[in-house]
Amino acid sequence: MTIRHQGQQYRPRMAFLRKIEALVKEMQNPETGIRMQSQRVMITNIPHAMTGNDILQWIAQRLWIGHMEAQNLGNFVVKYGYVYPLQDPKNLNLKPDNSSLYRFQTPYFWPTQQWSAEDTDYAIYLAKRNIKKKGILEEYEKENYSFLNKKINHKWDFIIMQAKEQYKTGKERKKADRYALDCQEKAYWLVHRCPPGADNILDYGLNRVTNPNEVKKDTISLIRKEIMYYQQALMRSTVKSSVSLGGIVKYSEQFSSNDPIMSGCLPSNPWITDDTQFWELNAKLVDIPTKMRVERWAFNFSELIRDPKGRQSFQFFLKKEFSGENLGFWEACEDLKYGDQSKVKEKAQEIYKLFLAPGARRWINIDGKTMDITVKGLKHPHRYVLDAAQTHIYMLMKKDSYARYLKSPIYKEMLAKAIEPRETSKRSSLPFMRRHLRSSPSPVILRQLEEEAKAREAANTVDITQVMSKLDRRSQLKKEIPPK
Amino acid sequence: MAKEECKALLDALNRVTACYRHMVLSVGGTSDSQNLREELKQTRQKAHELAVANRNKLTAALKDKDVSKEDKAEYERLWVIFSTCLEILETDMKRALELGLEFPLNMPKKHLIQTGMSGGTTGVAARAMSVQNIKYEAEPNIDEVDLKDLEQEIHKVGEMMYEMEMKVNVPQWTVEAKQDPGAELKSTTSAGASSGGFVSVEERKSVCDISKLLAAIVFSAVLIIAVILAVCVVKLS
Repeated sequence: MTIRHQGQQYRPRMAFLRKIEALVKEMQNPETGIRMQSQRVMITNIPHAMTGNDILQWIAQRLWIGHMEAQNLGNFVVKYGYVYPLQDPKNLNLKPDNSSLYRFQTPYFWPTQQWSAEDTDYAIYLAKRNIKKKGILEEYEKENYSFLNKKINHKWDFIIMQAKEQYKTGKERKKADRYALDCQEKAYWLVHRCPPGADNILDYGLNRVTNPNEVKKDTISLIRKEIMYYQQALMRSTVKSSVSLGGIVKYSEQFSSNDPIMSGCLPSNPWITDDTQFWELNAKLVDIPTKMRVERWAFNFSELIRDPKGRQSFQFFLKKEFSGENLGFWEACEDLKYGDQSKVKEKAQEIYKLFLAPGARRWINIDGKTMDITVKGLKHPHRYVLDAAQTHIYMLMKKDSYARYLKSPIYKEMLAKAIEPRETSKRSSLPFMRRHLRSSPSPVILRQLEEEAKAREAANTVDITQVMSKLDRRSQLKKEIPPK
Repeated sequence: MAKEECKALLDALNRVTACYRHMVLSVGGTSDSQNLREELKQTRQKAHELAVANRNKLTAALKDKDVSKEDKAEYERLWVIFSTCLEILETDMKRALELGLEFPLNMPKKHLIQTGMSGGTTGVAARAMSVQNIKYEAEPNIDEVDLKDLEQEIHKVGEMMYEMEMKVNVPQWTVEAKQDPGAELKSTTSAGASSGGFVSVEERKSVCDISKLLAAIVFSAVLIIAVILAVCVVKLS
């Protein structure tokens, strides 16, 4: 059963308490209900106690269920506080023996979902208990007491007044009733403010904003939305599962040797041996990369681009081929996409001036259609305005330059120079051996070095226009000389 | 003095609220009866009168511009106590209505919950009404008849609280309590503790320990003497 609360919050996991209540009411019938005994407390007899076994038998007989299910249901009845144990109040389980006694809880103290157990009431209860036990409360009760004192301090005078009055009022009843009332209240608060370590049975999980069990009526707008959703789903390109699974298998086979968990890592896993050599050898821009790393660049283009050292080597190669501006443009686009939102406009303008404008210093070669789209988009620049151009350049590099790179002497030299670290011998780390703790370079410093390297790059790049103009002048000179 | 009158009225309301709650606890249980329902009705009416009287007095005091600052703070404190009391009264009345609907008294098929109570609540009601004995004058089916009145009264109390909120501008959280934590242990006659609650715990505990230690020493001394005597007897015989 779901209950509507203010704010339209649905709590579909709440217990349906009406069911247990109906059962508990049936248990009261003097003829068909549970057999009652009386509990002996010192010299008084308090009526209406039942043994656990009686409850269990009654439930099993009434509902025609087996022993285990009856036990489970009996546990629920006790846990929710409809019946409380007399001998061991904190153990809210139904013990199916003939010696453990239980009693029904008064309807005022039944759990309700309309009103939660208020802090004010709990504070009054704690104050009353304080009076009765002359200050000896349990640890968690003391903590709760001081916590509530701080939380509802403005009501504290009232709480003390009310606690004293309620305590005095209780004396107007006869002793047996007073004892029963005490047990009842204690049982109530054990359920609603459970001691540490006990499960809070009234916890129902998070409040939800929509009702998942609601059956929505089919309105036209709802069906229109559904149709649109399915049409878009049809338009998506789908891949056969055989193809995608084959892809996964191929990927796993290819990369399995590179995976530190699957096939171990050389020299040794730093998390296990406390030896940080692995991280030093595989630093972002280390001089001599490891063999595994260099071989990995040959798997596919994205691996090469993703690795900073790979990118550096690739840039070197592209410069020799006079297409260095491609990678430069790609890096600038990445910077635009992932950089500060506030700098998006100026960065986009700079990139346009540097790479895309006719007669730019590092002009990139993209086709007319893409150029049109990009120029139009640059009127209202946002992060992804250069996406089309970036994809075009990426594809160009992948299909054209990548293959040549892998065959180039630069790559081959890198592969030959690459080191294969030796596995460190397993030294059992003695507990008293002092470990050399070196801190890795600060990320701030690393970033500064990167920026300086970039600036130097920018200064040293070959201006394609200047080169062209130089060649032009040379050819002009050559043309001029012969006529002489 | 106006303050003393206000305090007295508030104490009376406090007492009636405590009694009302005590009685609502028994609704639906085995100590429920027509008498209980009638007691509830009478207590409720008394509570209503007191609440109205309190409200009038306190609003008059708070609207008065000639009071000093400490007096004003005191009245605000009393106002917070009053509004909290009224909240609790309203909740109890709503519970009473709900329980009254669920547990009608004269139906043979519907049985009351066997809660272990056997006595009545006459003493409590007498305390609430501040009389020696209560007279029961109502009809035998008061439990049903009363429910409509109860509903109306709940509405009335709700409206009263709303009016109070609107008219009197006292933010609850600015009031500082005068009583410290553990103050309830100070003035109850059955406590017997002289200082605050928790300090007395340690004192008592240490006192108990010392007496226990003394008893243990005496017992062991007696045991040793008995053993020595037995040995002497054995040796001599």
